[in-house]
Amino acid sequence: MTPILFAFSSAFTLGLTGLVFHRVHLLSALLCLEGMMLSLYIALSTWSLGMGSASSSALPLFLLAISACEAGAGLAILVATARTHGTDRLQSLNLLQW
Amino acid sequence: MAYFVYLFMVGLVLGMAVVAVNLSPYFAAFGLVVVAGMGCGVIISFGGSFLSLVLFLIYLGGMLVVFVYSAALAAEPFPESFGTTGAVLYFMGLVGVVGVFAILYIEEGSGLGGCSSDEVMGMSSCVTEYDGMSQMYGPGGFLLVLCAWVLLLTLFVVLEMTRGSSRGPLRSV
Repeated sequence: MTPILFAFSSAFTLGLTGLVFHRVHLLSALLCLEGMMLSLYIALSTWSLGMGSASSSALPLFLLAISACEAGAGLAILVATARTHGTDRLQSLNLLQW
Repeated sequence: MAYFVYLFMVGLVLGMAVVAVNLSPYFAAFGLVVVAGMGCGVIISFGGSFLSLVLFLIYLGGMLVVFVYSAALAAEPFPESFGTTGAVLYFMGLVGVVGVFAILYIEEGSGLGGCSSDEVMGMSSCVTEYDGMSQMYGPGGFLLVLCAWVLLLTLFVVLEMTRGSSRGPLRSV
């Protein structure tokens, strides 16, 4: 495994770990998701540059555009949650517990 | 000097570990800034200067600014920082696990595919990414229009999601 492959793979896995475990704020989950998207951007960029052919160099730009849409939608959910529940802490999202 | 890029890779993983510890969102946003900066350094070392510029502008200048403004919405009087219980141990545990896997799995192959520069004549045989980027406007024109359409659709999605029963998306703060 080359160092750069290990770097963005472990960055992706760390972001996934932060998304899954131990959350207090909804915004922390969104930031971990953004970190995962960033590691994917770095992966696509270094892959297309390291392979010697630049034909897939536009792919990270499309990924960035779509991940910006996803971040916007996630932040809209955050704002709606903060308006109805008063805070974005996940303890307050307890209406559907059994 | 050729091994400087390994520092960027280490900084990338460490910054991501700061985000993964899940402290107060201020620290996670700062960790993402560090990750984006180090990632830009890595991409530049591969010869992708335009992609790194795009990352800095759009990601840091656009998306992360929006996240920081939303962190003001999630403000709390006692933010959980690195001094609280278990945060430093969790961070060191994450970095330790990553380090164990690094020792096991990293082989020193060719490593970087980066630019080889001819120092006598000053030219470099980098793979420039402009050939692929310009295809976004030509053969990939449909995907470009589609992405712009999706961005416009996301605007309407955001406006719709923040519209409550009697509230609009804009309010007096």
